[in-house]
Amino acid sequence: MNSNPQIVIVGVGALGSHVVLFGRNLPVRFTVVDFDRVERKNTLSQFHSRMGVGRNKAQALGQAMQGLFGARLDVCPHRLTEDNVGELLREAALVVDCVDNAPTRQLIQTSAEQLALPCVHGALAPDGAYARIMWREEFAIDGGGEGQATCEDGEHLPFIATVAARMTGVIQRFLKDGTRLSYHIHPGGLMAV
Amino acid sequence: MNNYRILPHEARVNVTWRGQNGDLLEPVPYDASDREIKEWVAEALAGDSVAGIRTRGRVDLQNFVVDRFPAGVNAPHNRIFLRPKTPFG
Repeated sequence: MNSNPQIVIVGVGALGSHVVLFGRNLPVRFTVVDFDRVERKNTLSQFHSRMGVGRNKAQALGQAMQGLFGARLDVCPHRLTEDNVGELLREAALVVDCVDNAPTRQLIQTSAEQLALPCVHGALAPDGAYARIMWREEFAIDGGGEGQATCEDGEHLPFIATVAARMTGVIQRFLKDGTRLSYHIHPGGLMAV
Repeated sequence: MNNYRILPHEARVNVTWRGQNGDLLEPVPYDASDREIKEWVAEALAGDSVAGIRTRGRVDLQNFVVDRFPAGVNAPHNRIFLRPKTPFG
């Protein structure tokens, strides 16, 4: 049994998949939760390869990390719901929200508050030109993504990777000394909040 | 950045628009409405008076979000961020 702290990442698309990639040396147990499947277009902006197309994203990421780096992930290939959120988050040392819809963000935020768990959110604008990394206490949930084009054409991959790397740094710092850093990020730089 | 002193009831406004970022030159009342802040920023952007942001005329900020952060450990004055929505992860 791995005794490292458990980090639960909900959503392993653009941000979440890269946070796992960049966080592979952290002394943690990653649990990744995602019900979605890898589509061909996802391979342009997410850490998913053509070998994973058609597979569940959490399982595909788990297999990739095992094969490329020998890193083992705990995988939950299901949608986060009110029925399973308590069980999935219960033992987490940290919850990382990288989902793409407001209802699930709300479920994560509410559950983390009820369970008194630290929770950090990562959120991208549709045009790939702005992002926020914020802790639960100061994170306002935005709706409005429905029907909008996402950052999936590959053009924004460098920015997505920048945000994910910063988010991994935020997690690393939290694990080190409990400091909770929050940022606004745009292509020209970042601001601490 | 500018040299205006920010009073306790005021705030610095930071704007992100199409990947560009800058501060409004003057502080605004911290309790200004979202609508007022969007109008002031739209005027400033149209007038090219926000250092770091270049636009071509009037911009539409109706779908933008106003976040307010009170003065604290991380900043000596109140701050307001006008930003695009971030629904994706």
